[in-house]
Amino acid sequence: MLLQPPALALAKDSHNQEDVAMLVDVTKCVSCWWCYAACKNYNKLPETIKPDPEQPPPLSPKVWTTLKPVKINDEWHSRKQACNHCTNAACVEVCPTGALSYNDLGFVQYDKDKCSGCGYCAEFCPFGVPQMESNRVSGVAVMDKCTFCIDRVTGGEQPACAAACPTGAIKFGKRAELVAEGRERVAALQNSNANAVFYGDKELGGLHVMYVLDESPEVYGLPVAPEEPPAALVRDVLRWVGVGAAAAIIIGFGLNYIIFREAKIVHELPGREFIRKREEENKK
Amino acid sequence: MTQPRVVERFRKRTIWFHWIHTVAFLVLLVTGAILFFPGIGGAAAGGITRSIHRVAVVFFVGAPVIYSVLNPRMALHFIKETLTWGIDDLEYMEAAPLYYFGGPEENMPPQGHVNSGQKMWQFIVLATGVLFVISGLIMWFLKDTVPAGLFQWSVIVHDVAFLLAFLMLLVHIYTGTIHPRMTESLRSMWDGKISVKYARNHYGKWYEEISRGEGEEKE
Repeated sequence: MLLQPPALALAKDSHNQEDVAMLVDVTKCVSCWWCYAACKNYNKLPETIKPDPEQPPPLSPKVWTTLKPVKINDEWHSRKQACNHCTNAACVEVCPTGALSYNDLGFVQYDKDKCSGCGYCAEFCPFGVPQMESNRVSGVAVMDKCTFCIDRVTGGEQPACAAACPTGAIKFGKRAELVAEGRERVAALQNSNANAVFYGDKELGGLHVMYVLDESPEVYGLPVAPEEPPAALVRDVLRWVGVGAAAAIIIGFGLNYIIFREAKIVHELPGREFIRKREEENKK
Repeated sequence: MTQPRVVERFRKRTIWFHWIHTVAFLVLLVTGAILFFPGIGGAAAGGITRSIHRVAVVFFVGAPVIYSVLNPRMALHFIKETLTWGIDDLEYMEAAPLYYFGGPEENMPPQGHVNSGQKMWQFIVLATGVLFVISGLIMWFLKDTVPAGLFQWSVIVHDVAFLLAFLMLLVHIYTGTIHPRMTESLRSMWDGKISVKYARNHYGKWYEEISRGEGEEKE
């Protein structure tokens, strides 16, 4: 795709029936960290150690999924944290090189060879997911994040984290089916817990990682109403305004030159008429 | 008494400064434009252009700083000239469109050392320079310390400054080198001189001043 249309035109809220997704159910998570270990192992990210649950490793170029521990009523809960693979993904919109893009199956894929290291994705993501370590002086950097285990998923397998989860807290499947399952699960939870909520069904056009939560999203570090930063849309508009304005100016100059070439010959001293008029006005 | 056939318009150091700044800005422009215009971002893959951008900015900022330190009087004069706008400029702006599209020259108000159009370009250079540097410093050095929102709007400020500077640069290049009436503009940026005839035609007020031995002869 040579030219990307502006984000405004691209915003979509319907999903391909083929879209895949993951459903994360925090009520089933036992904080075993197997998802974290499986991710590191499968994606060959070094330093696979069982982290201290009180000080879990934050997302980084070497940590694509982690657990966010939350203390609720003196009890520790965890929410698996990784790229949410938005349908309307700010990172894809602002990526200048096309390194980030949408996979046909709905999730957000990226091509590291195309990454320029600009870091716009990291700064525009409403969830703060894309990670990079950049050289402060030269700016050299490469973004990394959850790939949705693209080669496994396109090969008909589950992502490594979902495959490793022993309790069914991470489920992989067709998005439409998981939406139905998530709603059902939350409805069941709401019988005893009014705070239970299903997250990711509608947010940002629909996430491809959705959550069954027993507390409000904020408690689990998820923004209640995430949105694409307005600056991302402003930038998209500016880019096309720039194309239009530059084209108009260049065409204008071309016409100006063609039509007024002959004006090169200087006939009169400029200002003569101007000064005469001013002097007349002064006399009045 | 023999009349001189040419008058000096720019000093050597000013010409050097102009071209060093020009090259630095063009490098910044190209390495920046590929991250801005849709469809050509692939050229930035690997990030080498972003490193070049950072090398070029050292010259882009360093050149005016060194020039100002060595020639504080001229730098101040430049800033004062750029920020001083009066009724003369309004008259110029009114008459300019017709003039640039081939209208009679005798309707043009006589201009000082720079005409109002050039002054507008000087203003764009100064203003976007400030915007570029502030937003650029935030994106370069404060990426991990400022809130994401401030970084996002710094990108936008950088974009807006780019658009203003790029579009006005097109105007500057066209009027300075290609426009059929600006026959000696480019030459004056090489050897600093213009013919007396050109000076009277294009910078009448300035020519009168220097003929009377007043005013700034050159910059």
